[in-house]
Amino acid sequence: MTKGSSNDEFDDPGIVGEPDWVQIAQRRYDPDGGQELATEIVFAIASAEGISPTELESPLYERVDAAALEATLFSPTVGDDDAGQDSVTTTFRYGTYLVKVRSDGQIQVYEPTGDNT
Amino acid sequence: MGEDTTGGDDVTGGLSTREEGETRLPEVLDADYVYDALVHPRRRYLCYALLTDAAETLPDLATQVAAWEHDVTEPDVTDEQHERVYVSLYHAHVPKLVANGVVEFDKERETVTPGQNAGRVLRALESMGASLDDDRGAHARSNMDDERE
Repeated sequence: MTKGSSNDEFDDPGIVGEPDWVQIAQRRYDPDGGQELATEIVFAIASAEGISPTELESPLYERVDAAALEATLFSPTVGDDDAGQDSVTTTFRYGTYLVKVRSDGQIQVYEPTGDNT
Repeated sequence: MGEDTTGGDDVTGGLSTREEGETRLPEVLDADYVYDALVHPRRRYLCYALLTDAAETLPDLATQVAAWEHDVTEPDVTDEQHERVYVSLYHAHVPKLVANGVVEFDKERETVTPGQNAGRVLRALESMGASLDDDRGAHARSNMDDERE
């Protein structure tokens, strides 16, 4: 999707939480739930898009290796430690969306507000 | 597989960081892509389906893999089980196998066929033999004519 504005300052997916983005879907991934992170991310994006997960066309793998992400964020040394570990967040772009995956299992999908004020 | 609980640290020579928590495989799997193709149960099932000609299109493969995973016959695979496996194959496992040259995927027809690197993977899978138990092999053989869609 093209942005009407020349203000590209927030195009860097590393910059999140700016008013440019609004969260439109959220889903919780349970590392012990027997489901794959990739599937949960796709379900979250599909829900943001308002379509069935099987209708989402662009393979997630082209944006992120979810299996590697799963191992990184949810290996026992990251999420399960009782060392009071803060949550770690990975962010990537999928189409026009910004997807955040937190090590506490929260998956959040954002879209640009399209509000250039 | 399964008995591999001796905590062997680096069976695969540096690959252990890649997908920790997944089953470790014997060192006969010397090439990265062979290890990669077979380390994840779902990719292993998918390769096994290719090996046995159990299914060819992605929807059929998803049915087959879901049936093996849940240890049911193909007609008993629920829509939800099918959807989840389909999504995971389409968005994660098939692209990974394509990137490694193990399979080719025709997006139009949704067919998954062996790629240039499939030979070694399938031979390794064959030599592992016991990695898929007989029940699942039996399901594969008995349901090949099941057309789901």
